[in-house]
Amino acid sequence: MLMTSDIRVGTVFKAGSDVVVVQRLLGIKGGRNGQVKKMRVQNILTKSTSELGLDMGEKFEDVQLDYKKMKLSYIDGDNYVFMDMETYDQVEFSKEVLGDNAGYVHPDDDFEVEVAYYEEQPVSITCPTNVVRTITYCEPGIKGDTSGKTYKPATLDTGLEVSVPLFCDIGTKIVIDTRDGSFLERAK
Amino acid sequence: MTLDILCKVVDNYGDAGVVLRLARALSELSEPPRLRVVTDGPEAFRALGLPVDPALDAQPFGAFPEARLYAWRGAAPESAAPHADFVRERPRVVVECFACGRPPWLDALLFDTADPERRLVVNLEHLSAEPWAVELHRMQSATRSGLVKKRIFMPGFADGTGGLVIDRSFRAALEKWRALRDAAARGAPGACAALSAARADLARRAGIELPPGAEAGFWVPIFSYEHEYRDMAADLSAFARESGRAVCVLAAPGRSGDSARRAFGLGPEGVNLVPLPFLPQEIWDEFLLAADFPIVRGEDSWARAALGGEPFLWHAYLQEGAHQQVKVRAFLDALRPFVAGSGPRAPGGGGAMRGAAAFAALEKLYLAFNERFADSPEAGGAEGLIPVLRSLDALRPGFAAFADSLASRGDLAAHLMTFLREIV
Repeated sequence: MLMTSDIRVGTVFKAGSDVVVVQRLLGIKGGRNGQVKKMRVQNILTKSTSELGLDMGEKFEDVQLDYKKMKLSYIDGDNYVFMDMETYDQVEFSKEVLGDNAGYVHPDDDFEVEVAYYEEQPVSITCPTNVVRTITYCEPGIKGDTSGKTYKPATLDTGLEVSVPLFCDIGTKIVIDTRDGSFLERAK
Repeated sequence: MTLDILCKVVDNYGDAGVVLRLARALSELSEPPRLRVVTDGPEAFRALGLPVDPALDAQPFGAFPEARLYAWRGAAPESAAPHADFVRERPRVVVECFACGRPPWLDALLFDTADPERRLVVNLEHLSAEPWAVELHRMQSATRSGLVKKRIFMPGFADGTGGLVIDRSFRAALEKWRALRDAAARGAPGACAALSAARADLARRAGIELPPGAEAGFWVPIFSYEHEYRDMAADLSAFARESGRAVCVLAAPGRSGDSARRAFGLGPEGVNLVPLPFLPQEIWDEFLLAADFPIVRGEDSWARAALGGEPFLWHAYLQEGAHQQVKVRAFLDALRPFVAGSGPRAPGGGGAMRGAAAFAALEKLYLAFNERFADSPEAGGAEGLIPVLRSLDALRPGFAAFADSLASRGDLAAHLMTFLREIV
């Protein structure tokens, strides 16, 4: 069984009678007793997408998946091509299907992702929990503000927009948590 | 329709208080559902005035027709068996209050693959003024079975949410106290005496003795988390001198009781402390409605104070990383259009200018009062209460307009039943 807390972008699970893959995390709404995750999911069979809430405490049936480790080889327009570095097999995902995960990967990366297969069809990728990305645009950094409590928007080298502390600047390498897109720390 | 309401008591009486009020409001509807309340905290319901025996596994739930209260039962095998009533009549519509989850036996019944009927679970979430309350309201939430649908139902202050619970007894009390207060504010002949007499009667019903003349004073009920009230005591004392009205601090028992006793017990000049006993919900509601400036915490008293239409101060539930400030800011954002002068019913011209200045003082007070990373008797101080007390005349019309807007959205219980009937 999968708990709601296990579910992240790229997770494939059974919601009711549908097998869905999480494409985007649209928000986590906090309450006293737990959280509600709001997600965009795609039905793997019908390919239709919908918005779905997930309450903490719900559990879901696992879906039988096969995994292969692959590396992003290149990006062709809106298509992301991943390669198995042993067999040189390639699989292609559209940016839309990758959802938030498209913002965590870059062809220059050294790390591999896990490509999940459902009934022999590639359906999603899972990135490492922490990835290092470079800020390509943000408002100038404020020196001395190391509290990390106040945030500003920043664009990463993948085009993803995230919130970063005020002390960050263009060119700063940062560690991102791919489970929710949050800033973790400045990369060492 | 039979409604199974699940209530886990996390701390104090807020969870049970909201469920009790919801049950009351549901039972007052023209077509009331039959209620089965499952709780792990029967003691909390007893403390709120219901004749509940915590030792019983199943029993009547107050005086609500056909309503019954059931023990949550633990996860241990010996307590995992379902209540016979739930086997006889399977759960079809379940309301989980505040994402409280489900007892294992009820979960097993809900997700019984041999049961071909459709079931519905509604997560009745916490009250929040944050914009996402509208986003999440009525939203579909996933479950592991195609036969068990789940939806989120959000209480709230805005259009597009489920609103607030407004039960009949609260509505009656609200109308009574607002009429008394409005007449006194207009200076109607005998109105001040009538308000004082009503307050004296309320004190009698609560079994408390007021200091001489306190019924005509400036009433400040305090029901908050632990807090250092020393500076507020000084401000209230100064306000008593300026206004010529003695301040009566009505201290609820519990987490803020000691804080209030420490700050007000030695009697700052012009301020009397009156400790309150644990009161039934209806009587506590009236203290909030009879007051000049309630200080409230949590959810139910927050909602009551907002519906009351008088300026008040809210102590939000502490959250990790002081996230309660986000919730406080969201509430201030909801209040701002009414109080700061741009709302549809707020006073215009010079009144709006005064409203804006008064709101700035109120905002500062709210944020300072809720600035904390831990609940502690030493938390707080220097909030700046006096500028708000001096601005009460400018704040009142906005708070009243805000309360009217909340009341005009109707009762959450009625909205919930309409929603359920649409889906089931």
